[in-house]
Amino acid sequence: MAAEAIACEELAVGHGGKAIMSGITFALKPGRILAVVGPSGCGKSTLMRALSGLDDPVSGSSRLLGRDLTSVSTEEREQALRRLGFLFQGSALFSSLTLRENVELPIREFLSPPRREQRQLAEYKLSLVGLADAMDKLPSEISGGMAKRAALARALALDPEVLFLDEPGAGLDPLTAARMDELILRVREAFGTTIVMVSHEVPSILRTADFCVYLDTETGRMEAYAPPRDFLSLGAHPRAYAFFQQNHRN
Amino acid sequence: MSQTSPSQAWARTEVSADGAVLLTIGGAWKSGSALPEVAFRADRVAVRTEGLEDFDSCLPAWLHAHLRSIRSPDLSSLPLRLQSLVRMAETVAVTETANAEAGLLENLGAWGAESGSSWGRALEHIGHTALGFLRAGLGRARVNWNELPLQMQTAGVDALPIVALLGFLTGLIMAYVGLIQLKQVGATVYVANLVALAMAREMGALMTGVIACGRTSTAFASQLGSMNLSQESDALRALGINPVEFLALPRILAVSLMVPLLSVFATFVGVLGGMVVACSGDLSVDQYVTQAVKAVSWKSFVAGFIKSVVFGFIAAWAGCYRGHVARRSALGVGEAATSAAVLGITLIVIADAVFAVIFNLYDI
Repeated sequence: MAAEAIACEELAVGHGGKAIMSGITFALKPGRILAVVGPSGCGKSTLMRALSGLDDPVSGSSRLLGRDLTSVSTEEREQALRRLGFLFQGSALFSSLTLRENVELPIREFLSPPRREQRQLAEYKLSLVGLADAMDKLPSEISGGMAKRAALARALALDPEVLFLDEPGAGLDPLTAARMDELILRVREAFGTTIVMVSHEVPSILRTADFCVYLDTETGRMEAYAPPRDFLSLGAHPRAYAFFQQNHRN
Repeated sequence: MSQTSPSQAWARTEVSADGAVLLTIGGAWKSGSALPEVAFRADRVAVRTEGLEDFDSCLPAWLHAHLRSIRSPDLSSLPLRLQSLVRMAETVAVTETANAEAGLLENLGAWGAESGSSWGRALEHIGHTALGFLRAGLGRARVNWNELPLQMQTAGVDALPIVALLGFLTGLIMAYVGLIQLKQVGATVYVANLVALAMAREMGALMTGVIACGRTSTAFASQLGSMNLSQESDALRALGINPVEFLALPRILAVSLMVPLLSVFATFVGVLGGMVVACSGDLSVDQYVTQAVKAVSWKSFVAGFIKSVVFGFIAAWAGCYRGHVARRSALGVGEAATSAAVLGITLIVIADAVFAVIFNLYDI
């Protein structure tokens, strides 16, 4: 395994070749949780997509699990993506499939185990997130919190080495959001998964993240890479401090 | 029990004197490889490993499936990480309770209730629509009239090519079929009467109604279903705006205005199609036109026109109704589009049959 799960240097991300955030430099060891933090529109999700190889960065270098995904073939990139798990902001569950079928889909496509083991694996992953009793429901029949958990179960389907979570607590009540945080910590503990999560929920970040990347909209650059507790005191990162203070109070 | 090679996953069970089962697992457990199958019935089960090499999620999944019915299996001999992975699946609380599996009778009852409430919802929507038009007439409804020209263009002008093609071909086919029969009695001149009357009174309206269901109803159902999905309808409600009035009224009005015009257009084009066939035989253009004009009385023309207004209303209403009650998913939007077309065409045919009876009763 690579010494760093994710490492990037002077990375710039954006849309259509135009950078919206630049100067992103950090290295994250395997099994750590990284929170990408910043005000709305600062490019958190764009950074996550670039780190995971879903989109190309505008400039700079980025290595994921020891490989530079910008210089690999499409096939190699697809193979690398199979080692990753994604939880999208809107859950992105396939609405015509039950929760069980949603989780079975990647297992069937990439592992092709016998039918019985496919079901066992899907049921296990859904049990991990507390949805053992709702496996045969359609996404339209469950709550937003359940949909997030089902999407997490699908993200865990292939035992990913790196898990990317886009706003895992968005739209959830504080209790359900806290349960989601607990689940994220348990997943990391049990599977040793490296987790990158985009969030602006400060309590959630403080509960779960080992490190934080703070993206500053004013300068269009990464302001800091540090443990989240560092942002609770006025030090070298005044804008990150202000963001944390504001959101922590709310 | 199986224990073939050191790298293959294996499991074996032994029963102790006190009835407890000892489940031993070993080898390499990887998803996609063959996993062993064991069967046991016991109140107490202890699990241990022997030469366990490597594993991924398939091992805790396998243990989870096999130990599900055991009250508290003894996992203390397992590696800590494996213990944690198995226990995790048992300990995460479920906050929402799922419905119990329904039986046949229950399903039948649920289907009956759903069908009943579906018709109830349809009637309610018709009521809201009618009331909306009344309120709009009194200037008390919030209606997005800006959409009216666009909808008239989409439902009317944009449909001209397809209506022209189908109308022309319908007239042409009717003339062919009519000529074959009328030739036998030496009355080929009446092919003009047949085509003109059928198009003006029946086929023009029916055909444009069905076309409206195919293109406009489905489009409305998809548009409004997507708005449901993205909570735009809820946003309107939250603003105190009735979505039926705001969204459905301009659409229904646009289609109800355009389908009669399309129907008249289809009638003329259909008569033209019939003329091409009739005049390629014994009839002159003059004869055909004279016969056609003579055949269509004002009563017949108005009857066809009234029908087309109603068919237009039905096509637009079906689309709006199915869109408003669409389930909030991509699947729901697709279902809404399909059911809008089916509902629209079915209601149009039923309405046509009702018109036939009424016109017959009143000798129209």
